Amino acid sequence: MGELTPKERVLRLLRKEPIDTMPFFSGMGMVVMPGIEKVGCKFAQIHTDASRMAMSAIWSSRLMGFDCVVIPYDMTMESEAVGNEISLYENSEDILYPTIPHKKWKTMEEVEIPKDIMERGRLPLLPKAIKIIKEEAPELPIGCWQLGPFTQAGQMLELDMILKAVFKEKKKVEELLDKLTDMIIELGKWLQASGCDYITLREPGVAADLLSPRTFKELIQPRLTRILDAWKSPKLLHICGQTDPLITMMAECHADGLTVDIKNNIKESRKKLGPDVLLMGNVDTYKITCDPSTTVEQAVEHIKWIIDNGVDAVMPGCDLWPAIVFENMKACVDTTHEYGRRPSPAVGRL
Amino acid sequence: MTTKEELLKQLKEGVINYNEEQVKEAASKAIELGYPALEMIMDGLAAGMEVVGELYERNEYFVPEVLMCADALYAGLDILRPHVPKQESGVVAQVVIGSVQGDVHDIGKNLVKMMFDVAGWQVHDLGRDVPLEKFVEEQLRTDAEVVAMSAMMTTTMLGMKKVIKMIKEKNPNVAIMLGGAPVTKDVAKLFGADGYAESAGNAVQEAIKMIARLREMQQTKAAN
Repeated sequence: MGELTPKERVLRLLRKEPIDTMPFFSGMGMVVMPGIEKVGCKFAQIHTDASRMAMSAIWSSRLMGFDCVVIPYDMTMESEAVGNEISLYENSEDILYPTIPHKKWKTMEEVEIPKDIMERGRLPLLPKAIKIIKEEAPELPIGCWQLGPFTQAGQMLELDMILKAVFKEKKKVEELLDKLTDMIIELGKWLQASGCDYITLREPGVAADLLSPRTFKELIQPRLTRILDAWKSPKLLHICGQTDPLITMMAECHADGLTVDIKNNIKESRKKLGPDVLLMGNVDTYKITCDPSTTVEQAVEHIKWIIDNGVDAVMPGCDLWPAIVFENMKACVDTTHEYGRRPSPAVGRL
Repeated sequence: MTTKEELLKQLKEGVINYNEEQVKEAASKAIELGYPALEMIMDGLAAGMEVVGELYERNEYFVPEVLMCADALYAGLDILRPHVPKQESGVVAQVVIGSVQGDVHDIGKNLVKMMFDVAGWQVHDLGRDVPLEKFVEEQLRTDAEVVAMSAMMTTTMLGMKKVIKMIKEKNPNVAIMLGGAPVTKDVAKLFGADGYAESAGNAVQEAIKMIARLREMQQTKAAN
């Protein structure tokens, strides 16, 4: 296709250097069923074994033409590492991501992050999987991610308790978020030291359909900034859900690029941000990539519409739901590469 | 003596301002003075929640505020509900409700459940992370008119499609409601669901509309 490898393409884009064509990549999950089938295992088995994790990521990218691999797949690794049990749903025929059915901590004060957290639970899988990917697929950039402190708080404790405490016990919430912020900084540095090529801070639990923009500014933004300041580049910030009222505040968090989902009016966001901010998004990860009634033509139109709205890279708005419609998914990637040959607002072309 | 109107106002404002103590006091006072409990619930607590819904739509309230208002409403409901006479209670229907398997969040589900509780429905709450077959079993066991399912994550919502098919095969007259963050009207239609609760405030309204429609259908069938 192009002159650059996916890794060169993505890393140059993240430095805002000219590239050959627009990449289709993500900071969130990019594993799809055809890639998992190629490895010969079930969805529930790709979360617990470094080789399966690495190979399902590689095959997903190779079969679809994605410009990256992203690990891990589920949001429970840290919560498991501090001592919670996870449900893997191994007997279910459906695609179900691991969850934390019961949380051991009942109050915010109990939360204490072990210093050696990266040696606990499944976290040690990640450096191993990164190593395998580097050997097997040196052409692919490896993306890793960390949940933001508020979303992570909802994995460690009951979310409704924290939401109510935002008003009733603000000080305790702040202390909790600070502890988690410290943990996220350390885990991010550790992932970077283990060899991931870019890192994404994803904080879906703070979208403007959940928390007020004022709460975002007071409670969340300073901590997201602290995390991003502590990590080295390239680093992205992703928030899904309603982000129109947040986008300019997101741009003040010191990330190298911003990513949003389908609820964001990306054309307006581009106007607010100007041409210099790396802005990525916002493929509809159900309607376009999974809904069997969507035609290839509709998928192609969706991607062109996103590019015309002023993104610098096409990115799914969330984890890709793995049960993709093969032709539509492929059409999304191919259209990005073909239609994305002209310069985007923040990134020129070779 | 405190008038009925004063107490209604205290209940309503107590819910809006998430003041649990005020709601408890007003509810107890209403019982003490013998005012009709159902009226207190509907024109006091529920009326307050309606305003909360408006504040949420206008982006003045967000989820934390709504959750605190819901706590205040339940504080009043717990006191008032036992005093609603059976024939008045308006228990015309039952609902089976839960978050589907793979979803351990239940904030949306609980808000929808609250509206059913207020309206006096018999609620069979299956909780969260509920295996799909459980919805079908519970509907058959209770003969509930409505099955309401919620999924907060995109990754769990596809499961709902299967449940709808299973239930409709066994009992085509059951109304199905879907709600939760990633579910849009289009998706609900695609899955063959009857109702879609965009926000908790719409859920009961949608359910009542759906049942009215089902009754019509049955009456037409009977007439033929």
